[in-house]
Amino acid sequence: MLRELKNKVFVIYLILSAFLVILPLFHILFSVFANGIPVLLKYGLAFLTETLPAPNRGGGIFPAIYGTFMMVFLASLMGIPLAVLAGIFVAEYPNNALSRATRSLLLIMLEFPTILVGLFVMAILVMPIGSFSALAGAFALMIVMLPYVATYTEQAMRSVPAQYKEGAYALGLRKVRVVFSITLKIAKKGVITGLLIGMAKVSGETAPLIFTAGNAWRSTGGVLEPVGAIPLWIYYLVQQPYTNYHEIAWGAALVLMLFFLAVFLPIRLSMVRT
Amino acid sequence: MKKWIAVSGILFAVFLLGCVSEQNVAKEQIKIYGSGASFPAPQIENWIYEFSKVNKNVIVEYSSKGSGAGINDFKSKLVHFACTDPPAKESEWIEFKKLGEPLQFPFIVGAVVVVYNLPVDELKLDGETLAKIFMGEIEFWDDQAIKALNPNANLPHEKIIVIHRSDSSGTTEVFTTYLSLVSKDFKEKVGAGKLVEWPVDKIGRGFGGKGNEGVSAMFKQTSNSIAYVELAYALHENFKMISLKNAEGNFVKANAETISSAISASSAYVPDPKEGYKEDPKQFLNARGKNSYPIVSFSHVLLWQSYPKDEAQAIKSFWNWVLTEGQKHIIEGYAPLPKEIAELGLKAVESIRGE
Repeated sequence: MLRELKNKVFVIYLILSAFLVILPLFHILFSVFANGIPVLLKYGLAFLTETLPAPNRGGGIFPAIYGTFMMVFLASLMGIPLAVLAGIFVAEYPNNALSRATRSLLLIMLEFPTILVGLFVMAILVMPIGSFSALAGAFALMIVMLPYVATYTEQAMRSVPAQYKEGAYALGLRKVRVVFSITLKIAKKGVITGLLIGMAKVSGETAPLIFTAGNAWRSTGGVLEPVGAIPLWIYYLVQQPYTNYHEIAWGAALVLMLFFLAVFLPIRLSMVRT
Repeated sequence: MKKWIAVSGILFAVFLLGCVSEQNVAKEQIKIYGSGASFPAPQIENWIYEFSKVNKNVIVEYSSKGSGAGINDFKSKLVHFACTDPPAKESEWIEFKKLGEPLQFPFIVGAVVVVYNLPVDELKLDGETLAKIFMGEIEFWDDQAIKALNPNANLPHEKIIVIHRSDSSGTTEVFTTYLSLVSKDFKEKVGAGKLVEWPVDKIGRGFGGKGNEGVSAMFKQTSNSIAYVELAYALHENFKMISLKNAEGNFVKANAETISSAISASSAYVPDPKEGYKEDPKQFLNARGKNSYPIVSFSHVLLWQSYPKDEAQAIKSFWNWVLTEGQKHIIEGYAPLPKEIAELGLKAVESIRGE
């Protein structure tokens, strides 16, 4: 009797803790939707196409959307090939000293304070160029993205059963073919998950952009000019006393959240199906 | 896999098209970048909005990240202009001089106000009493010192809760400089600075909030509290402000008129923009004048005397507009410059040359 009771109490305790862990997530989702949807309805489509208004006027967040997409795109362009190759290297040569070092360094990079990444990029790119730029922002985002993509790639590659590779070698395929046509193809889903998680992660980053991207409220500049970003805008706008700036910040948060969900939900659902 | 390549190819093509069309537009437009103090940011946004209506060829971008960050960006020539609340220090000025000829002049005036959360409509305080409250020496709202200044007010016998900034802030610097000016005791025990140790924290009646918004939020939820914030916040949140005794013995509330009066009374202390570091913010506090509000402060802009030709033209047209037309588009919480100080800035802007 007592044992059953103990069992029940413990199970309830487990359920409660699980609930407490996900509670903040639901709170965030709820408050972003509750505060963001009225803003989108109030400002209409102009919210996505116009630039920052003066205090107490209506406007939109186009330069921020532009900047975020541009920098995430550039960061992916630079970072994904690099990170995937690094992940393949670590997975294919697990006992090499260099690959062991890379693996632990990647784990450290995951935890690295992103504001320091921003400062580093400021020193090596912003100062020599002489201006804040989308390129510098994208470079900082790329550094933040690398460890996610590389780690996911490595794990996906390693989860491929050895029999497939042995079979491929037995058929006389060279290592290049085995890695890229067999293993990578089987691990595709894991690798793509890694890419998307990396992209979603950096699209919400503020700290690496403060010292690199500069900011832009009303211009959509080229690669070498300062650009805005959705998280940067939220960060700056909530510090102002004006209601319309707070509204725009909530609306921007909702746009960011929708973007995030649009990337995540399809992956998760497709994972469940297989 | 092929699908992915096709999709990313299309995306890339669209992106390139976007860049190309962007650059065609950019040829006629000149972009000016600025960064620095967050206090004047809403006013600058408003100016940019009005300015862009009359001048479509110049795009001005300002990012508010704090006075210190602005000065650093300016020193590294990452931005065309920087805004700073306290004037640049002499050591910073020497650094600028190594890179070119700097200019600094005030462009907007603001005020720090003391707000209270009490069911009392009107509260008068003088500097001395205010200092004692913020040091924790006055414990109750119905203290003799406060009663003497407000004989008709129905003050409750409640403990005073003091709310201040917990982060390093220009607002705190202005406020503590004022208190040090009017109270010797405060100067010795606390002193002036961006971040000070409030003695009232140690006796459990003082609490810190991060940023103007943090202080505002805490203040709203705490009855019997007193706090200091930027005027824009107090107006926006409809906080009750105290009437503060000025140098000539009158009790005044902060508004555009009393702030301008204070600045006009001490406009002689604004130095030549070419020697901007010589400004001493203390000289604008507790200013003379019957109608002067005692706690006012400037926001300053830093510019170079020479820029590449196109940029020089754009910078001149923007700052010229700010100091003339712009002074008519002032939003709630700020006050325009008196004419003689605006003239000083205009002369400096005129001296900017294109290379």
